[in-house]
Amino acid sequence: MSDAELIRRYNYDSFVRANWQPWMQFDASPPLGVAAPDFPLWPLAGGATTLSAVWSAHAYTIVEFGSFT
Amino acid sequence: MNQLAERVAARDVASVFVYTYEAHPGEQYPHLTSMDQKYRHAADLRDRLGVTRPILLDALDGACHRAYGSMPNMTWIFARSGIPIYKSDWTDAHSVANAIDYFLDVSERRRNRERLAPFRVERLDYRNQDRVAFYEGLARSGPKAVDEFRAEFPE
Repeated sequence: MSDAELIRRYNYDSFVRANWQPWMQFDASPPLGVAAPDFPLWPLAGGATTLSAVWSAHAYTIVEFGSFT
Repeated sequence: MNQLAERVAARDVASVFVYTYEAHPGEQYPHLTSMDQKYRHAADLRDRLGVTRPILLDALDGACHRAYGSMPNMTWIFARSGIPIYKSDWTDAHSVANAIDYFLDVSERRRNRERLAPFRVERLDYRNQDRVAFYEGLARSGPKAVDEFRAEFPE
């Protein structure tokens, strides 16, 4: 799948099962107790950071994933 | 979740919101096609819905979100080492509060020199199902979002 196709499929334009169900992959998500994957993130306030920079700055970090909708 | 973040912040607990995709795209908040648009939607999450925690944007292809299971509103808790110690496929403040309070107690017990070893546990938690509030949220995205959800999940 090309990068453009991945972006299009991930950001689906209609909430129909064929679009959203393939992304429901919680059962395949990283296990607890094992080092987790790191990714770049961009603060709304500006700049760039990484998930690891966030979690390494505090004893614990609560990360909620979501959007306006 | 904002209130929980404020309650535990002084105990060295950070709380952030990672902006992902539009789960219910509508006329007002259509599917994302650019990072500029993603920044605008995230700003509305802060300004219209009152999310006071730092908001971090994932890449447009959802690389981080997809790696963690890409559920539309999930929550994870990480220890400073980068090890995830809690994950839930839906966000419920009571469940997250219960978990973080437990982990803070674990930290306190370790400070008191208790010898502790991790073990795995599974548990089914329960969340509020407020249909009125949920549909109000869909309506903020637009009638398309409401109609599509009703078509997928008829009452």
